[in-house]
Amino acid sequence: MNGQSGFLNNKKRVITHLLPALAVTMLLVGYGLWSAIAQSFQTIEGEWTFASYVQLFNSHTFFHSLKLTFRVAILSTLLALMIGLIMTRMLYQFFKNSSSKILVWIPILIPHFVAGYLVYLFFSQSGLFSSLFYQLGLLDQRSDFPILVQEEFGIGMILTYVWKEVPFVILMLLPVYYEIDHRYGEVVRTLGGNKWDAFKTVEFPWLLPVIVETSVILVAFIASAFEIPYLLGVTRPEMLPVRAYEWFYDGDWSKRPLAFSAMILPGVLALLLAMLCIGAVQQHRLRMVKGRGR
Amino acid sequence: MRFVFTRLGKRELVTSLMVVIFIAFFILPFVVVTLKSFSVGWRFPELLPQAYSLNGWQSIFRDPSLRESIVTTLMVGLYVVLLNLLLSLPAAKILSICSFKGKSIIEIALLSPILIPGMLLAMGLQFTMIRFGLADQILGVVLVHLIPTLPYAIRIMRAGYERLGTSLGEQASVLGAGPYLRFFTISLPLLLPSIRSLMLLTFVISLGQYALTAIIGGGNVMTLSLLYYPYFSSSNEAVIAGFSILFALLPLLFIGGVEIVLRLVIRAVNRV
Repeated sequence: MNGQSGFLNNKKRVITHLLPALAVTMLLVGYGLWSAIAQSFQTIEGEWTFASYVQLFNSHTFFHSLKLTFRVAILSTLLALMIGLIMTRMLYQFFKNSSSKILVWIPILIPHFVAGYLVYLFFSQSGLFSSLFYQLGLLDQRSDFPILVQEEFGIGMILTYVWKEVPFVILMLLPVYYEIDHRYGEVVRTLGGNKWDAFKTVEFPWLLPVIVETSVILVAFIASAFEIPYLLGVTRPEMLPVRAYEWFYDGDWSKRPLAFSAMILPGVLALLLAMLCIGAVQQHRLRMVKGRGR
Repeated sequence: MRFVFTRLGKRELVTSLMVVIFIAFFILPFVVVTLKSFSVGWRFPELLPQAYSLNGWQSIFRDPSLRESIVTTLMVGLYVVLLNLLLSLPAAKILSICSFKGKSIIEIALLSPILIPGMLLAMGLQFTMIRFGLADQILGVVLVHLIPTLPYAIRIMRAGYERLGTSLGEQASVLGAGPYLRFFTISLPLLLPSIRSLMLLTFVISLGQYALTAIIGGGNVMTLSLLYYPYFSSSNEAVIAGFSILFALLPLLFIGGVEIVLRLVIRAVNRV
């Protein structure tokens, strides 16, 4: 009898089970977003104005920061995806037993800023690679080593994100690789296709939705993350989240609208990018689902 | 036959080479940092430390603010993990077995925190949290840490429930088991791998939050990540290295403790 009531009251069950998670999410995201947008259009006296956006669009520093932010986000994502894909392809057999999967989890265990410290430890001018090249006789002094960390292009940040996100990409792609029927690959080979053909026609259609999902998550995350740029960035040009954070805590509250709009604009940009990618894949996804049903 | 053999050999060679590369890139740095935390004045251009000591670790554990913040961090992490479990388990179950009108909209809403900048939300929530007395408190920090963790928690649990399916639960139900008995004897043991990854991932994400903790915690809730930045600019490199290792040790410590509790719970339930 107990169990029966559980299966009968379907609609009520859906609501009671989903409501807590949905309410918390909507409260945090819905209210937080609304409040952030409202505060970006208000002065501290509470008047409604576009002033903060006008000021941002008129400033060169803002566009430099925007460019840097998305350059770092997109380059790190692309590199992490490529390296992660190659590693998954070569290692999915190896990672099949769960004990070796622990290896992938280890880099995920540490926070991003510790990964930033690792990059600093290895790639700064007085870092370990610099020491190595000095010992090998390739450098005369430490200043001969190229500046890779805390410079304008964001190489240090990109290195950190790539290092940190490759294991994430692998963990996202591994389940797909176990799902793929690899006999199709053999079909391609018997029909005279090479390795690339096999990848293109068998694996890639399966991977595409996950690849798009992963890249959307990564770009959105990196474009709005504060921890790494705060550690490894430079002040000119500054990554947008750091700029926003500093405006947010700038003495009086007069710069707060700027802080909000400086975070909203990259957020909107990332969202548009995400929608574009997902829209492009949707068609493909539908075709996959139909194909599977046949 | 020989052709097959050499092919296989080559393939295995490539795989093992890749494993070596993976370990060199992703595991070896941890060994180096551990070495560094025990070193004395390991500077350019020395490739290996000249001397070893426990000084770095000693000064870490002598710092009272650090000991305090380990407790704070563990508490925040524990609450975040528990709340995530409580919220995501029922939601993920429904999402995995039921289909209803408006499901995709609810799915998008639940996953939206992944795409919307967490820092923006925290900045937006700050003023309200101050008014409601949630700011500068562990509770406020825990709530705001749900933003980057809950979507992943739901995603992981949902995949777990999808693998589990409904047949075992139905069978138990036919045999007269109530919802609680069903949960503790079927779902919990079989979902354990997903629950483990959920706890590990949400704890790690909570551990790595600087901006969210700083904005809502207002410097009153001192988690380890807030202490890391001042330490980073300190001169003793062994201390920074030790501190970094601490960040990798805490999740392991946490998951070890949780594992013991989980085992006890399941054993107790099965005895009944």
